[in-house]
Amino acid sequence: MSLTPEIIALLLLDAVFLFFGGIAFVLSARIAWRWRSHETTELQYALHRQSYLVSVIINYIFMLKIPLFAFFIYTCDKLSSIITGAMCASGVVNSVDFGLYLTLFKIVNLYVFGFWLLLNDADMNEEKLPFTRLKFVLFMLFFIPLFAEIGLEIGFFTSLNVSKIVSCCGTLFSAASTSSISLLFSVDEKIWMMIFYGCFALSVAAYGSRSPLASVVSNLLLALFALIALILFFSPYVYELPTHHCPFCLLQKEYFYVGYLLYALLFAGTFYAAAGGVLDLVQKRYTKRFYNLSLFFNTLYVIGISLYPLSYYLRNGVWL
Amino acid sequence: MLANVNVLLLDYALGSLKRQGGKSVFILIVLSLLIFLLASVLMIADAIKLELNTTLKTLPQITLQRFVAGKQTNVSLSRVDTILAFNGVERVMPRVWGYYYFKPAGVNFSIVGVDAYEEPYKKRLSELTRTFDLLTLEKEGGMIVGEGVKNVLQENYYSDFFNFITPKGERYPLKIAGVFHSDIALESNDLMLVPKQAAYAIFGMSPEEATDIVVHVNNPVEIPTIVQKITERYPDLRAITQDDLRISYQNIFDYKSGFFLSLFIVCVFAFFIVIYDKASALSSEERREIGILKALGWRMSDIVHVKFYESFVMAFSAFITGFCAALFFVYVLQAPLLRSVFIGYSELKPPFRLPFSVDVKMIVLLFFLSVPVYIAATLIPAWKAACLDADEVMR
Repeated sequence: MSLTPEIIALLLLDAVFLFFGGIAFVLSARIAWRWRSHETTELQYALHRQSYLVSVIINYIFMLKIPLFAFFIYTCDKLSSIITGAMCASGVVNSVDFGLYLTLFKIVNLYVFGFWLLLNDADMNEEKLPFTRLKFVLFMLFFIPLFAEIGLEIGFFTSLNVSKIVSCCGTLFSAASTSSISLLFSVDEKIWMMIFYGCFALSVAAYGSRSPLASVVSNLLLALFALIALILFFSPYVYELPTHHCPFCLLQKEYFYVGYLLYALLFAGTFYAAAGGVLDLVQKRYTKRFYNLSLFFNTLYVIGISLYPLSYYLRNGVWL
Repeated sequence: MLANVNVLLLDYALGSLKRQGGKSVFILIVLSLLIFLLASVLMIADAIKLELNTTLKTLPQITLQRFVAGKQTNVSLSRVDTILAFNGVERVMPRVWGYYYFKPAGVNFSIVGVDAYEEPYKKRLSELTRTFDLLTLEKEGGMIVGEGVKNVLQENYYSDFFNFITPKGERYPLKIAGVFHSDIALESNDLMLVPKQAAYAIFGMSPEEATDIVVHVNNPVEIPTIVQKITERYPDLRAITQDDLRISYQNIFDYKSGFFLSLFIVCVFAFFIVIYDKASALSSEERREIGILKALGWRMSDIVHVKFYESFVMAFSAFITGFCAALFFVYVLQAPLLRSVFIGYSELKPPFRLPFSVDVKMIVLLFFLSVPVYIAATLIPAWKAACLDADEVMR
């Protein structure tokens, strides 16, 4: 275990999140259990005030989680310079068995808590507070991945062995590796690319059809296949190296930190449609603003990522 | 969501901070001080790391040390030719160097033996030796010393020569033929360049031996392979490469600043409690204010927003103040007191300037260590204040 300032900062904030998350969890349990929106007792009034505290806490956690996710990746990037074999964050993340799950939990939590905040907003803007019980039951469920993430993160940094030799991203994201990702390599990368554009077309079609369900499904598919296509098809064009498929190296200086922009666009685009869509399904209505935002960010992402192969082809006259 | 900034509420929060006067100023000062301390430590650590990494580039690619029973000992010169025969090795240089303890001042001088017919193992050293004539140095029994050494010697009345005592108990005088200035002071302040045979005499070493061996490789990519070959041929040699040094520097400074930070966390925790307490204890004035606002129709969320803006403005301005103060303290004043935590104490403390190294990453790190913690401490008090009932307060 090495206590670099970055790790200490992350652990400190984890402790803060755990503390406030714990408070929010206890309050949610109370509210979910005893909330009666038609009663006018002292207790209901107190519960209403507490429900506001929970939303403040979750707002606080979520607002910090987004930049902290980037900071976590950056910390791993920095650690890669002292861990033998690692050349970017992926080597560090994979040096601990559950590193990949930690990253996945972090991403899932961003979607989940973002959705909770949208639900909270919708609830607070309605006179009758129709989703109060629902949102606190949901928070109790969402607390599990949050708790798991914090636990994994603490475990990750304590079991991180600086002197252990790890694999670099060149072997982790290659057809030769024995990880699950090698399965994807057995399919031609052009097919993944086409599936990705297909998903984007699907999400545009869903936007045209004004169906929340179609938007949710198409955007979740888009998020998944965008990542796969990024690893298998697009990343070699970014690196201009046919064998380099790492999704983490995009975040490095050599590529102008383009990954931070691309991932933010992809997250914003798919999040608004998916979370907004679920919210619309619950509320049984159609909020155009979510889908407009989603289409805007998704389009920006698709344009951004497509420019790499196109410009490569224009300059060199061949595809990789 | 808290992200949508309401300018009117922000304006109100600023006014409220102004009205609180003394209380805000107190918190602002304490918070700024904390951030200032933290920022200074991180900046010093980064600056020294940068200085060392600059020095690192001038260090030999591979240093070979011989270990017997876990202790470093001298290497036989006959090994030099064997190592030179390895493919890829460009130059091999035996070095004679060591420390000489000067009791009256309680300091260690670094003595490095130089040879007129041998190219020095470091570029910087060769620049030094070029300005001084080594041949006459050898003939006349002179040496070249760093500025720090010269001052120490002068304080002890050795103004033009110095008497070394050899292990046999004999005196070995060497003239101070020159003083050099180096732009990287960390490595050369305590340095004495003496002719090789003088170094052998001062250390009482056999002339068939060297302190260690420095290897220069044409292709840096081959360094690990060559290290492997050498250590297979001579298992008692330990190879230290530039990369090893870089990693250990990083570890040392991460450890040092990490250690400081762990102590700092205790401070942060205490501060957290103070802020929590301060923010919870509303004066009757403030309670009345909230009561009036609520009676005027403000919602709970409006009051929490105002409180959030207040604490954000406080934390952020303290962050900026502390950060700027640290910049001034570290790079203009050269961090008096604090830098000795990192450099260690020694009579020959090199008077070097901390090179400027501040990047976005450090600002982000500092931000995460300070602002969110402060805001967290005010979350619950803000909510409590917002829960006050208009009628109860104004009664």
